[in-house]
Amino acid sequence: MTADLADIEGEIKRILAGFLKDPRSLTGDTDLVADLALESVQIMEFVVEVEDCYDIAIDLESLSNVHTVSELAAVVAARLQS
Amino acid sequence: MTLMDKFAAHRQRQRELGEAGADPTHVVMERMLSATEAVIGGRRTLLAGTNNYLGLTFDPECIAAGQEALEQFGTGTTGSRMANGNYRGHELLERELADFYGYPYAVVFSTGYSANLGALTALLEPGDCVLLDADAHASLYDGCRMTGAEVYRFRHNDPESLEKRLRRLGDRASRTLVVTEGLFSVLGDKAPLAEMVEIKDRYGAYLFVDEAHSLGVYGERGRGVAEEDGVLDRVDFIVGTFSKSLGATGGYCVSRHDALALFRFASRPYIFTASPCPSVVATTRVALRLVRERPEIRERLWDNARALHRGLGDLGLVLGATVSPVVAVRFDEKERALATWRTLLESGIYTNLMMPPASPDGSSLLRCSASAGHTPEQIQIIVEGFRRAVAVTDEPPGG
Repeated sequence: MTADLADIEGEIKRILAGFLKDPRSLTGDTDLVADLALESVQIMEFVVEVEDCYDIAIDLESLSNVHTVSELAAVVAARLQS
Repeated sequence: MTLMDKFAAHRQRQRELGEAGADPTHVVMERMLSATEAVIGGRRTLLAGTNNYLGLTFDPECIAAGQEALEQFGTGTTGSRMANGNYRGHELLERELADFYGYPYAVVFSTGYSANLGALTALLEPGDCVLLDADAHASLYDGCRMTGAEVYRFRHNDPESLEKRLRRLGDRASRTLVVTEGLFSVLGDKAPLAEMVEIKDRYGAYLFVDEAHSLGVYGERGRGVAEEDGVLDRVDFIVGTFSKSLGATGGYCVSRHDALALFRFASRPYIFTASPCPSVVATTRVALRLVRERPEIRERLWDNARALHRGLGDLGLVLGATVSPVVAVRFDEKERALATWRTLLESGIYTNLMMPPASPDGSSLLRCSASAGHTPEQIQIIVEGFRRAVAVTDEPPGG
C-alpha cells in the first residue's frame, strides 16, 4: 500500500475524530496528550485502529517519540515503505 | 527546570487523595488477626482485597515450616543463588514446581516482579519481537521494554488482534514471544489461551503466560488457566508468584524448554539479587503441597467467589461479566469510587481502590478478591457493606 504523507495525515485525523467529542480543530500539530487529553487506553485503541487501517504494526519504542498527528503520520509512512 | 520537577504531578495526585480523605497509600495493617481480618486505624477490619486466594497465610503447617527453617537456616541467605545464597530449600522448591507442572525445568526468583523481569530479559534481545496484551501487568511491560526487543501491543484478550500482528511480522514470527496473563489481576477476566496457543503454533511463535493470579485457583490440580484450558503441554513459559495463593513472597518460571536452565547464566535479576529467605521458601513449599493435597480449599474459594459476585451483582453494581475470585466494581466517576472506598473502610471493610492511569480501561473501580479463608457470613458482610456505602454516596451533598 502506498500513500503520501498528506493522505496518511488525513486518514489519521479521520480515525482520531472518532475518539473526540469535538474533532473540528484537529491539525497536523495537534498533540494527542497535551491538546486532546487522551487517556493512555484511548491512545492505545486509536493506534490499534491506525495499524489495522494500514495493515502495519508500530512498536512501542517508535510510539514513544510520537506526540502529534504529523509525527504519527511520518511513522506510518516509514512502515509502509519498509 | 530541576531534577525534582517531575514529581509535580505525583504531588498533585497525593494532595487530591489527601483532600478527599481517601489515600490508599497510607492504609496501615497494624495487626493481622487472620487471613481475612486485620486491625486498621485501631478498628477490626474485614479484608476484601488481599489476593490471599487460598487463605494460607495463617495455615498452621506453613507457619510451623517457616519457624523450623528460621531456626535451622537463619533469617536470610545474605547472597545470590550464584554465590553463597543457594540453599537446599531453593533446589527442592524448584524440583517441586517442575513436578507440579509436569515440566522438566523451573527457576525460583526473589519476587514475582523479578520473575517477570528475569525471565523476559533472559529470553529476549534486540532483533526479537514481543506481542504483548494491552492490559498486561506493569512488570511484563517493564521486562519487555528492558530487553531492546521490539514490543507491539495487541487488543486485550483478542486473538484476532494477535493474529493480525503475528501475520504482519512475517518471517520474524519465529523470533516472537507472545506475552499475556492467565487471570488478569484488576478486572478478573481470563485469557483465551486455547485460541492463543493455536495461533502462536501456526506462526511458529512462543507463548509466555503469567499465572500470578491463577496459580491454585484454576485447573483441576490448581495449575492455572493453562491447565484449565488444556494447553499446559503447549505453553512455552509460565511465570508466577508465591505472594498470592501461596501466601509468601517470591516468584518462579517453569518451562518445557531447556533454555530455562540457562537463565541462571543469562538473567541479571536472578544473578544480581539475594535469594529468597529460607523461611519464605519453607512456607512456600508447604503451601504448594497443600494446593496439591487439598482441592477442597479451591472449592471453598470458588463458592465464596460466586457468592461475592452474585451478591454485588444483585445490588445493581457494574461488575465484570466473568465470575472469578477477582470482582471489580466499576464507577463512572472517580469521586464516587473514592467516597465509596472511604465509606467502606470506615465501616470496617478493606477493598482496593484503583483509578486511572492504574486501572486498565480508564474507569475507576473498587477491586475485591474472594478468599477461601472468608466464611459465608463474611461474604455477606462485604455485600451488605457495599449496599450501605453505595446508598450513602448516592445521597446528594447535605441530603
